[in-house]
Amino acid sequence: MQFVQTLNGLLEHVKKVERETIALTKDGQLQLVKFIEKNSLRLDDETLEVMQYQDIIAQQLSATIEAIENMQGHLHLFTNSFDQDASNMEESFGEMDDKLTSVLKNAQEKHSAFGGKTQHHDYDDGVEFF
Amino acid sequence: MPLVIFVDDSETALASTRMVTDSMPITVKQYLSAVDALREIKGGMTPDLIITDMNMPVMNGFEFLQALRTVPSTARTPVLMLTTETRDELKQQGKALGLTGWIVKPFNPAQLKQAIARVLRLA
Repeated sequence: MQFVQTLNGLLEHVKKVERETIALTKDGQLQLVKFIEKNSLRLDDETLEVMQYQDIIAQQLSATIEAIENMQGHLHLFTNSFDQDASNMEESFGEMDDKLTSVLKNAQEKHSAFGGKTQHHDYDDGVEFF
Repeated sequence: MPLVIFVDDSETALASTRMVTDSMPITVKQYLSAVDALREIKGGMTPDLIITDMNMPVMNGFEFLQALRTVPSTARTPVLMLTTETRDELKQQGKALGLTGWIVKPFNPAQLKQAIARVLRLA
């Protein structure tokens, strides 16, 4: 099952890049905030709104990291199962496909849920009081 | 001045709310975890308004809200959810738990200020 190891290595790489992106965007944003606050600068509302994008970027990337980790877990189980009984290959592939399909659906739902107004441009801008 | 606390596991999100509210006649305290905020509340802090994120590790926004309602001093304190979540079922769940309102990120700064002023009845 060499290809699974290669796939796992690729997924690890993607997670590493995503984590670095989260850290870099956060560091950059906080440095900018430090400069703004130190110099008592006033930002307009449009700028204050886009300043919030780092939080959304971090949430979106964290959700895909979580999906990758779920996928890696299923790949690990698949490899173990396959190693124990290669005759069940077709069944193992089918089970893995079901699980990965579930991981994909969950990840897509989180993409929508964690995007806020950036994913729902028609969303009413107002604050909803109950 | 009224005390408003913000709870969010994102430092940059807290920085954004801080820059928006720094001109308001309120005292702001910020927490990176609901557990830390709850500890201070149980220790005697009495906020006039609590604004919290939904998706946080350890204790999420709903769990925080439920815990606040069991503390006598915050049993009726207004709580606003500030989140990326737009799903109606979550809003209804929050309403049933006693949430005051729902604000979707990225928030409009003027509207966040208006919401705070409305809840605190600031002139």
